[in-house]
Amino acid sequence: MSSRIRVLVIGAGTMGTVHSRAYARLEDAEVVGIVDPFDFNPRLAIDLNVPQYRDFDDVPGSSYDVVDVSVPSRWHLPYVVEALRMKKSVFCEKPLALSLTEAEEMVATAMTNQARISVGHCVRFFPEYVEANSLVQSGALGDIAVVRTFRGGAFPTAWNDWYANRNLSGGTLVDLMIHDFDFLRWVLGPVTRVYAKTTRREMNRIDFSLATLRFASGAIAHLEGTWAHEHFGTRFEFAGSQGILQHDSFQENPISITRTPEGGVALPQSGDLRSPYDLEIAHFIDAIRHDLPFRVTIEDAYEALRIALAAESSAMTGVSIDLQPITPARGGVTL
Amino acid sequence: MIRIALLSSAHMHASAYVHGLRALSNVEIIGIFDHDALRGQAFAKEHHLPWSPQLDPLLAQANATIICSENARHRFYVEASASAKLPMLCEKPLATTLDDALHMLEAAQAAKVPLYLALPVRFAPGFAQMLEAVHQGQVGRVLAMVGTNHGYLPPGWFLNVKESGGGAIMDHTPHVADLMRLITRSEVDEVFAEIDSRARQANIDDSGILTLEFNNGAFATLDPSWTRTEGFPTWGDVTLEVVGTNGVIEYDPFRPHLNVYRGDAPTHRHLGFGDNMDDHLIQAYVSALSQTAPHPLLANGLDGLRALEIALAAYRSQASHHPERIQHLL
Repeated sequence: MSSRIRVLVIGAGTMGTVHSRAYARLEDAEVVGIVDPFDFNPRLAIDLNVPQYRDFDDVPGSSYDVVDVSVPSRWHLPYVVEALRMKKSVFCEKPLALSLTEAEEMVATAMTNQARISVGHCVRFFPEYVEANSLVQSGALGDIAVVRTFRGGAFPTAWNDWYANRNLSGGTLVDLMIHDFDFLRWVLGPVTRVYAKTTRREMNRIDFSLATLRFASGAIAHLEGTWAHEHFGTRFEFAGSQGILQHDSFQENPISITRTPEGGVALPQSGDLRSPYDLEIAHFIDAIRHDLPFRVTIEDAYEALRIALAAESSAMTGVSIDLQPITPARGGVTL
Repeated sequence: MIRIALLSSAHMHASAYVHGLRALSNVEIIGIFDHDALRGQAFAKEHHLPWSPQLDPLLAQANATIICSENARHRFYVEASASAKLPMLCEKPLATTLDDALHMLEAAQAAKVPLYLALPVRFAPGFAQMLEAVHQGQVGRVLAMVGTNHGYLPPGWFLNVKESGGGAIMDHTPHVADLMRLITRSEVDEVFAEIDSRARQANIDDSGILTLEFNNGAFATLDPSWTRTEGFPTWGDVTLEVVGTNGVIEYDPFRPHLNVYRGDAPTHRHLGFGDNMDDHLIQAYVSALSQTAPHPLLANGLDGLRALEIALAAYRSQASHHPERIQHLL
């Protein structure tokens, strides 16, 4: 590897832009090109002063070390698999995939090629969520009994309105609430049972879901995910035998600006100098450079997807879904 | 003067109802009877009420009753009031079993006296306006609701299943499930629940999440957990979010509060202000005793039966780990 890690970013939408700018801010990484398969946003490559490509195959394989896959979820698989086969390190935006078959192919490809991959479960880098995890692990709240989470806002507007197509985005359960599925699994451990409800598929640009999780620890969690509200926000509450911890983003932003809504995809932020996305990307580059473990492994991303798809299945069939412990052969390998 | 007899003071709401009654000029509390004589006498002394050592003489003097016993004894007092041909306001939950509930409804019906149920949250600040907004279609068709009714771990008989019929699920399901029934004008057909007793570790269900499916296709969740710890700034909450095709309503009747910080206290406390829902409930009950048409928000025994069906289905779901259908009685 050259002294700076060279990153090829695939996708020039909301997250491709966020990640590109985060790499560009690092001392030890640089963006060497943007692949924009949908010719969505030529500004990004111009702003970064790097070449823009239409096809991944057109980029010389020797010109980059790392591939960042930030195209819409439906198109993650071919890019991730090709990059791993080239033994490149990969950062893939969440959700890893929209089906377990796709996710399993990624896991298998990573194992076969001994290539590293992390996934953009950025909530693990938001300071309030990091603090919550530490506090719960410290035992200060006692045994956790009931957790509530809220995440959402207005219906996202993006390229080709892909969020409105559940077959492309997965909807609130798979695209949005997967953040909280991952976060809660991080804090509370394995999930054993899932039950969920969602607004009917035919609702136009209203997507609202509620899920209940039971953990092996005995904890119960209730998750609300919405693209039916006006303003984006997040909340959580951990109620334990010794205390309660609450977060409400509507009350915590040091700056409050109210403007005419412009649409787009909501991007939660903190008031800190380094955004959670900067921290996430810096951690990823650091882990690659120094061969350290990722905070988010592909196994984590696979498990979050397994919970989200179980919730989707529960919402569609009306039954509760038991989750069996994962078999080591499938995803129980640390990459 | 309307002469009201208070039947048992087991439930802490008895004090709130005495307060509400005393604010009314056309009411006299003629006395209190309690099968637990020590408790009843103490309550009578504290509130300067006549103590009645026997039930029947008190009923003979009364025009109406208010029942604040342990849940499992509601049936005894309802049947006694019905036998004395007295209208009654019974604390929620209506009963601890469907069999008791049906006998209570039958007893009131046979005696041709109204059986009202104490569901004061219907009279909480803003609820009537919220209900009107929903029914006017201001948020379109209701798709989903999210409710909470958190609380402290209550004392004494609340933790004894024989007296209470159950813990947090039995105690806190009725209020917000009832609001949801009013909002959807529909009944709950199916319930899924995760329930546990890890929060307060008092050997009774203290926490859970219920998912409710309504007959009109709307769905909802309800968190009735006793998860508030002593350091929490208030006793608990009632919140209800309504998601419609054209908008969202977030309802929290306890939002009107002041924050009180005292030098000697480890935490700040909420000091609520504005309308008192218990007073409004009592007012509606007393009005119903003298008017032909009761207040439209005054709940009756059937509302209590519906709420009980939901709580009992939740316990069944916890045992089966599957959604449980409700076969509506009556």
